[in-house]
Order: sequence, then structure tokens, then C-alpha cells
Amino acid sequence: MVPGLAGLMAVLLLAAAFGIIFQYDGVYRAQKAREASVQAEILAASVTAALDFGDTASTQQAVDALKVNPQIEAAGVYTADGMRVAGYERRHGRLPARFTDAPADDGNAVEARAPVLRGGQRIGGVYLATIRDPISRRLTRYLMLSLLVLMAALVILVLGIAQTALRRANRELGERASALGAANAELKVQIEERVRAEEELRQAQKMQALGQLTGGIAHDFNNLLTVIQGSADILRRPGVPEAKRIRFAEAIVQTSTRAAALTGQLLAFARRQPLKPEVVDVNTRILAMIDLLDRTLGERFEIRTELAPDLCAIEVDPAQLESAILNVAVNARDAMAEGGLVTIRTAEAGRLDDGRRAIGLSVTDAGAGIEPEALARIFEPFYTTKAVGKGTGLGLSQVYGFAAQSGGDVRVESEVGSGTTVTIILPCSDRGASETAAIVEAEGLHRTGRILVVDDNEEVGAFAELLLGELGHQVVRVRSGPEAISAAESGNGFDVVFTDVVMPGMSGLELADRLKPLLPGVPVVLTTGYSDEITRSGTGGLPVVYKPYRLETLAGVLDQVLQPPPLAE
Amino acid sequence: MARLVAFFLSRLPLAACALLLPSAQVSAAAAAPSEYAVKAAFLPKFAGYVAWPGNVRLAPGAPLMLCILGDDPFGRLIDSAVRGQLVDQRPIIVRRVTGAGAAAGCHIAFVQGGARTSALLSGLGRSPILTVTDERGGPQRGMVHFVVQDGRVRFHIDEAEAARHGLSINSRLLAIALTVRQRP
Repeated sequence: MVPGLAGLMAVLLLAAAFGIIFQYDGVYRAQKAREASVQAEILAASVTAALDFGDTASTQQAVDALKVNPQIEAAGVYTADGMRVAGYERRHGRLPARFTDAPADDGNAVEARAPVLRGGQRIGGVYLATIRDPISRRLTRYLMLSLLVLMAALVILVLGIAQTALRRANRELGERASALGAANAELKVQIEERVRAEEELRQAQKMQALGQLTGGIAHDFNNLLTVIQGSADILRRPGVPEAKRIRFAEAIVQTSTRAAALTGQLLAFARRQPLKPEVVDVNTRILAMIDLLDRTLGERFEIRTELAPDLCAIEVDPAQLESAILNVAVNARDAMAEGGLVTIRTAEAGRLDDGRRAIGLSVTDAGAGIEPEALARIFEPFYTTKAVGKGTGLGLSQVYGFAAQSGGDVRVESEVGSGTTVTIILPCSDRGASETAAIVEAEGLHRTGRILVVDDNEEVGAFAELLLGELGHQVVRVRSGPEAISAAESGNGFDVVFTDVVMPGMSGLELADRLKPLLPGVPVVLTTGYSDEITRSGTGGLPVVYKPYRLETLAGVLDQVLQPPPLAE
Repeated sequence: MARLVAFFLSRLPLAACALLLPSAQVSAAAAAPSEYAVKAAFLPKFAGYVAWPGNVRLAPGAPLMLCILGDDPFGRLIDSAVRGQLVDQRPIIVRRVTGAGAAAGCHIAFVQGGARTSALLSGLGRSPILTVTDERGGPQRGMVHFVVQDGRVRFHIDEAEAARHGLSINSRLLAIALTVRQRP
């Protein structure tokens, strides 16, 4: 595939070269003719006198002098009449006999004739014939030129071919590049699709977990509500005997307690349970719980403790700690149907990621163990391997939530058929443990006073009013912060302000702030079922009664609050 | 003299033919020209190889004077030799003079007078005239002196003599002369 342009140029070059050669040939021929002519004239001049005076010898001498030139084929001197007087020829017959005769020429010769002049008068003539370069010599000369030209043409051709090849290679490269680009784009699209699919999968999994959670919650609460509603219905009927009334009321109370425990566990998992951390010594706490644990596990179980001495103090919510230990112990109990040994150990654990020292509290059983597949899911809320009715599935969730919120971790080691060890890792506290005396018990007189109840929920507010009334307090109920402020401004004065935290518009905390100047020295008690705000920023030093609250709890708090200025701790 | 006789004797058969065959006369003469015919032919030719001094330079077209001084051995030969001839586009005129004094205006002078030849020559003095002699004129030589050698008419040239008279002779003519007495 000779490239067009280069091929054309090469051909043109060759044609031009041949043209030049032919042209040169013609020029050469003309030049040779001129040379011959000049030589004839020279000869004519040299033989003038000899010819004039008939000196044949001298004439022949002059002619013979040309023999040395190999290119001169024939030379002759003629009289004015055309008779040959002297001559020389390489080949016989080459020289014409008379001046005007045509020579025996093979066409290869260059001839010249010149007159011999004496004083302007023609006294004779000279004939000269030279041979051109023999063909071989000429061809050799032209061959050199042709070779050069050929080489040049070849170079041009090669360049042209190379350029064509290059262009083709470039084109191929371009095609491949665009193919690559297309493949890349395709790949990107696929990656995006993959990412999207993963997102959707994750979302689906989340929804599934959520569904599982809400389904579980609904299920449990429905059960509890059934008991509560049913019992209430019975209580509403007239003519119910006292013993029965008491029994059903008890049922409602118990069921509500369980419901409260349930929400507590849920909140613990959500890590929204507001903790009241205290600096405690874990070993002391465990020893204080031994009785409770004995009762919870039952007679068939033996509890052994291996508590490392001189452990650092930890800063945890004591109630939550208790719940966590209980939950783990209950699991250990359920794992050993026939009973057995449960070992509780405390020891120093390795440092946490942030560098703090930590301790480990572990509960070991010799039970059935946990399957490896289940191990990954045991902390999930409502995940349980126990039969229906035998467990809420929330125990370990609470443990996990408590540990995480306290800045620690939970680890489970289990071997099917051997047993399980659950270890709770908790960081050391900066402060020293001060096992203070327990809460000052509210003993003695049950105080009463004027209470401002603030709650935007009608039922809860009314119920609170009822309860407080039962306790003997005077109650004024409002439904919002601004209303409370108006009530405070009205000047009647209050002893306690009992306010919900989560309210539209002004929150309980805000209200407390606003009431400070209006009701100086009047304590504010907050009540809330759940508060992100409190978990984040605390209660601002105000006491909190968590919903759902028992009568005793409320009474106790109010008592404490109504007491004269506080006890030192 | 003997040589001359021999020369003529060698030409005798031809001459006889010429006499016997009048029609062949021209061809015979053409085939073998006589001595004086050749000399007659040569005489005007010399003018083409001689340069006269400036004061003798002729105007273009002016004729060349060829003088026969003393005896005339040519006769009609010289006249027919110069007829139609041109030297430098000049016609040639033949004059026969008897004395040197009458030779003024000649360009070429053929001098023959037996014993009188040298007297005639010296009588020309320093005139710029090309003097031509031959063996019949005795030992005295002019600037050009005819001789017959190997049956051919040759000549000797005295270039020195010519130079003394103000004439210069072309080297080509000198080249074919038998001998040249070069000018100093």
C-alpha cells in the first residue's frame, strides 16, 4: 500500500531525473559539436600556409598531431576544390574523399567542417569527426545520477510508507482509546449501580431490623396492655368484692412495672437512658447484690465469686450496673436447665483505645454455649433463642447499651457444649471511689404544699393532679410554659413546680430558668419519659422523676424537695 | 643549370603530351603545373602572410602591386595566376618594370636579372617591398628565395632582411619555409 502522495512524488522525481538526463544528453551533444567545431577551426588555422603553398608534408603533420586525441575519429584537409590533401581516419573509409561528401557515419559521431581562410579568402576546408563518449561510459555517468535519484525516491517512498503506517497506528490507538473510554464509562455505571444496590440492601436490612424491633415492642406491650385494660375493666364493674378488686389492682401495678422495665431496657439499648453515674467500687456492688442474685437464680445454682483486689473505681449508674449483672446472670441460668455453677470474676483489663485503664466483669456458666452464627446477633434487641414467653430478648441489649454508654464494651466467648463467658469492660474513673452512705431515706413526716403542675398532655397532667391530690398537696395545673409563668406572676405563690420537660414551645428546662426570678427559692421538679436534651446536657441540677413513676417515688422526691435546705453529701 | 635542365626533362613527356594533345593541355597543366606556374601562383599568396608598415597601409579595396623587376620568366602565367584572386579583398595588379627606380609603389617585387639581380635589389634600398628571387637570379637572395627541392617548389625566407625593410612575416609562413633567417 504505497501511499499516494509519496508515490507520486517519487515518480515525479524519477521522471524529472530522466528528463534531466535526456536534456543533459542533448546539451552534451551540442557541447561536443561546439568542441569539434572549434577543433576544426584550430586545425584549419594551423594548416593555412601549408595548404596555401601546397606543403603536403606539413599539412599531414598538422593532421597527424590530432591522433593523440582518442576521441577524434577522422580529420581531413581539403583544397578549395574539395580534393583531399591530407587526412587521418581510425576506421577505413571514415574520412570522406571529397569535402562535400557525406561520411560513413554510424550516427554516433559529431562532425565539424571549417573553412581554411587566408586573408578572408577560402583556400580550402577541414573536416573533423569526433566520437561521442561510448554508450557504456555515458550510461555509467547517467547510472550514477540515476542511482542517486533512485535513492532519493526510495527515501521519499519509505518516508511516505512510514507516515501512512504511523497514521494507521494512530488511528488504531485512537479507536482503542475510545473503546477503553467506553469500557471505563460502562464500569463507572456498573459501580454506581452496585453502590446503589448496596445502599438499598442496607436500607432494607435496617427496615427489617426496625420492623423486628417495633414488632417486638408492639407485641410485648400488647400483652401487657391486655392485662392492664382487662384488669381496669373488671375494676369498673360494680359490685366487685374487695379481695378481687385488690387482686386486679395488683395485677395492673405489676404489669405496669414490667412495662416500665421494658421501656427502660429499650431506652438502655437506645443509649438514651439518662444515667446517674456515681463513682463505685465494683467488688462492693457485687457483694451487695449476692442475695439478690441468689434469689434470682434459685436453689439449683451455686454462685462463686473471684474478685480481684485493689481494682480501680468505675463511674457508672449503679442501677444500670445492677440490671446488667442481673441480665447476664439470668442468661447464665437459662443456659443451664439443670442448674450448675455460675462464676463471677472481676479483674484488671487491658487499656482501652483512648488509653484509659479498664476493668473486666465476667460471668461464666457451664451451659449449652452459643452457636457461632448466633454470637453475632445476641446483642440485637428482641433476638432470643429462648422459647416464646421465656425471654424478652432485651437482656443483652441492655447490657450492651449500658456498657457502651459507660464508655466500655461487652465481649462474649462461647463454646457449644462447654459454656459461655460474658465480660463487661468498664473504664476506670478519674475520681476516687467514695462509697457514700446510701440515699438519705426520706423518713418522718410526709410534707405537703402548693404545687404548680405543668404538662401539655391532658391525661398525664390530670393523673398527676389526682396523685398529688391524693398525697395531700394543693395542685394548680397548667398546660404550657407561658401559662405557668402567668400563674407564677399572679402572685399566689407555690412551694414546688412540677413540670414536664418535653413540651411544645417552651421546654421544662427553659421554664425553670424563666421561673427563677419569679419564684425565687421555689424548687422545680422535672418529669420526663425520655429526653434527648437531658441526656445531652443534664438536668441543670434539678431533680427528675422519670416516667412512669410510682406513687412512692413521686412522694419521696417531693418530700425531699420540700425539706429545708439540703444535706451535705 | 643542370638541375633546371633535369627539371625540364622530367617534365618533358608531359610537355610533349601537352603539345601533342591540345585538348589535354589544360588537364595536363592542371595535373603537373610548371615551375613558374607554381611560383606565379605563390607570389600573390605571400601578400596574405606579410604585414607592411603603417605608412604603406592601403585603403580598403586598393589593389596590391605585384612587380616583375628585371626579366619576366612568367609571361602569361603571372597574369592568369592573379586573375580573380583577392588578397584581403584586394585585387592584384601586375607591373613589369625594368629599373629599381620605377619600383616605387610596389608591394611585392620578383627580381630576376642574371648578374644584375644584386644591383637591382640594392637599388630598391630600404623600400618596404617584399623581394622575391629564385635560383635563376644568381646567388643573391631576396627576402623570399625560391628553390626546387624533390620536384617541389620551396622557398627560403630571410626574416631579418624583411624586418630591416619594415616588413613582418607571419609565423605560419615561416613554419613551412625551408630555412628561415630569423631577425635578431
